[in-house]
Amino acid sequence: MRNIKYLLQAAIIASAYSVLTIALMPFSYGIMQVRVSEALTILPYYTPAAIPGLFVGCLVSNMISPYGILDMILGSIATLIAAIGSYLLRKRPILVPLPPVITNGIIIGGMLYYAYGIPMPLYACMLWVALGQLIACYGIGYPLLQYLKRYKKIFELH
Amino acid sequence: MIRDITLGQYYPGDSWFHRLDARVKIIWTFIYIVSLFLIRDFWGYVIVLVTLALIIGISRVPLNFILKGLKPIFLIIIFTFVINMFMTKGTPLIEIGFLTITKEGLRNAFFMGTRLVLLIIGSSILTLITKPIQLTDGIEKLLSPLQKFGLPSHELAMMMTIALRFIPTLLEETDKIMKAQMARGADFESGNIMRRAKSLIPLLVPLFISAFRIAQDLAMAMEARCYRGGSHRTRMNGMRLRKRDGVAALLIILYLTLIIVQAQGILSLLMMSVIQLIQAA
Amino acid sequence: MQIQVKNLYHIYSEGMPYESVSLEDVSFEIEKGEFVGVIGHTGSGKSTLIQHLNGLLKPKSGQILIDGIDITSGEVKMSDIRRRIGLVFQYPEYQLFEETVHKDVAFGPMNLGLSQEEIDIRVKKAIELVGLNYDEIGQRSPFELSGGQKRRIAIAGVIAMEPEILILDEPIAGLDPKSHADILEMIKVIHSVNNTTIIIVSHNMGDIARLTNKILVLDSGKLVMVGTPAEVFSQADYIESLGLGLPPSAHLMNELRKRGVPVSRDILNIDEAEEELYRLLKQIEGKIDA
Repeated sequence: MRNIKYLLQAAIIASAYSVLTIALMPFSYGIMQVRVSEALTILPYYTPAAIPGLFVGCLVSNMISPYGILDMILGSIATLIAAIGSYLLRKRPILVPLPPVITNGIIIGGMLYYAYGIPMPLYACMLWVALGQLIACYGIGYPLLQYLKRYKKIFELH
Repeated sequence: MIRDITLGQYYPGDSWFHRLDARVKIIWTFIYIVSLFLIRDFWGYVIVLVTLALIIGISRVPLNFILKGLKPIFLIIIFTFVINMFMTKGTPLIEIGFLTITKEGLRNAFFMGTRLVLLIIGSSILTLITKPIQLTDGIEKLLSPLQKFGLPSHELAMMMTIALRFIPTLLEETDKIMKAQMARGADFESGNIMRRAKSLIPLLVPLFISAFRIAQDLAMAMEARCYRGGSHRTRMNGMRLRKRDGVAALLIILYLTLIIVQAQGILSLLMMSVIQLIQAA
Repeated sequence: MQIQVKNLYHIYSEGMPYESVSLEDVSFEIEKGEFVGVIGHTGSGKSTLIQHLNGLLKPKSGQILIDGIDITSGEVKMSDIRRRIGLVFQYPEYQLFEETVHKDVAFGPMNLGLSQEEIDIRVKKAIELVGLNYDEIGQRSPFELSGGQKRRIAIAGVIAMEPEILILDEPIAGLDPKSHADILEMIKVIHSVNNTTIIIVSHNMGDIARLTNKILVLDSGKLVMVGTPAEVFSQADYIESLGLGLPPSAHLMNELRKRGVPVSRDILNIDEAEEELYRLLKQIEGKIDA
């Protein structure tokens, strides 16, 4: 974390995450949770700065949008764990979008069931969130990962 | 298009609540959320409603701003309400075809529904009366004790601040890129979910490249100004706890006590004892 | 005429506390094949105006007729409009995203639903038209190109859609003198090869004076003057009062006029300036000899 570039990459990833959350709002939020910003969860493939970056992005986007602090904390934790997982899986690109599908499914799904009291079985809540994540992470994120391969240079940290 | 999005929830004001230290407000929000889950019956909600009414009234945030926060989850609220009403087993009240509304179902629906609404309203108050920059400073200060355990709270707060600063810039970039691609025939609006997902690539790739270019330039600029990070940095507007924060802390403790006491039934016990005493006298 | 704009009004952020009128009662006409310049101080509404022309923005009121069809009415399909009117934004190289130059230039034609063969033909044509060698760069990543090349490829991406009208917003912004000259040459070629109507927004008055045959002058959302370069720039004081510059030669002549030297008002370029100064000097020489 001594490296300034690392800090700034993380900050700009956080910024982009927040921008995508608010700029493409109709797609996200509401009953169908396709958060386009979740496509960015593939970034740990390119840089470890994405780990704090995505975490802070989740925090910041909740600060500026009306979704409540529970989403902010639990969502950010889910994103953080997922980012670490994606980073660890970076040798296998096809697996990189998987951790956010799982962690958000479990944690946000759990939040919907326990905290929001949504009267569907726990597994249904989790699957519902996981489905939205699947579309965002594999449907948008994975192609994004492939496209950015040509631009690897911009992610250099030194 | 994108230009019309008002950033954030902050409603400017000068009320007592606006002026409280951000740390106090953050801790209050936590305690508030926890308190909602301690409540067992509707009387507990009365305490919450009175508290919220006081806060909203004194901070002078208009009601429609508060209710705006409910819009995104309006459907979830309705959904929760309806399912609870029809699916809970118990003593039947009304029968509509093969659907039964039970007494328990009705009670549950209102109870869970109310809790959800109060949860969203109460937690959105935090962002309504606190500027994002105050929030990041507050979070940094609250997390700084954890630095002893290796948590880089200063760096995290720096990331948050820079991220906030660049949101308008990146919003403009997104707008420009969207329009440029639309001028080449890109369509971000129609089609099924998979089609729309794919159509975002011409937006995301250039946005990324721009964003990282900004990051590189800023890194160079900061280095050129000898930024070395670390927590020995001073700030222009320090955060100081004032008398009103102390008062607020006491009020928070009072609130929590009331909730716990009510939830344990002690309050109604007390009231009954008082009524008996009055009757005896 | 090809383009007819009638009483265009546009308001930004309508209904919000900071709403502002960006275009006020703008009306003008453009014939096919004209080379039009749009000038105005920053914030005068130039970008807003051109975004209306290809349907990216909708006016509050007013009409925009392209070949007689009102594009502001709900019935016109956006793809039909963008097929005929190409818009190149400022710093267009920032919109490149595909894996190869070929694929990026093909993005526009592909969105038009053309056949693969037609797309390939157009891509090659467009890249050659912007002065680059298809065989050399077609399969390279856009990211590897130089700034000037990137910009040309971005423009090629719009030309490949073969629009009848091409609008360019500050096409030479941020370029070095050589690239600046090259890009302008390129635009001239595009203009003459297909008789494409060109509309160019620029702050460079020298270019505008040299290339265009009609100029639209915007000031705070209003269209304050329409005319040929000679007509517009001969109103030197008015132009300067709008916060705009003059073509370098016209500027020099104006400064001389302010100091009492009786030079003509119709000077637009270096050659005319040279002739005029030579004529004046000969006059003075004559007086001295006499």
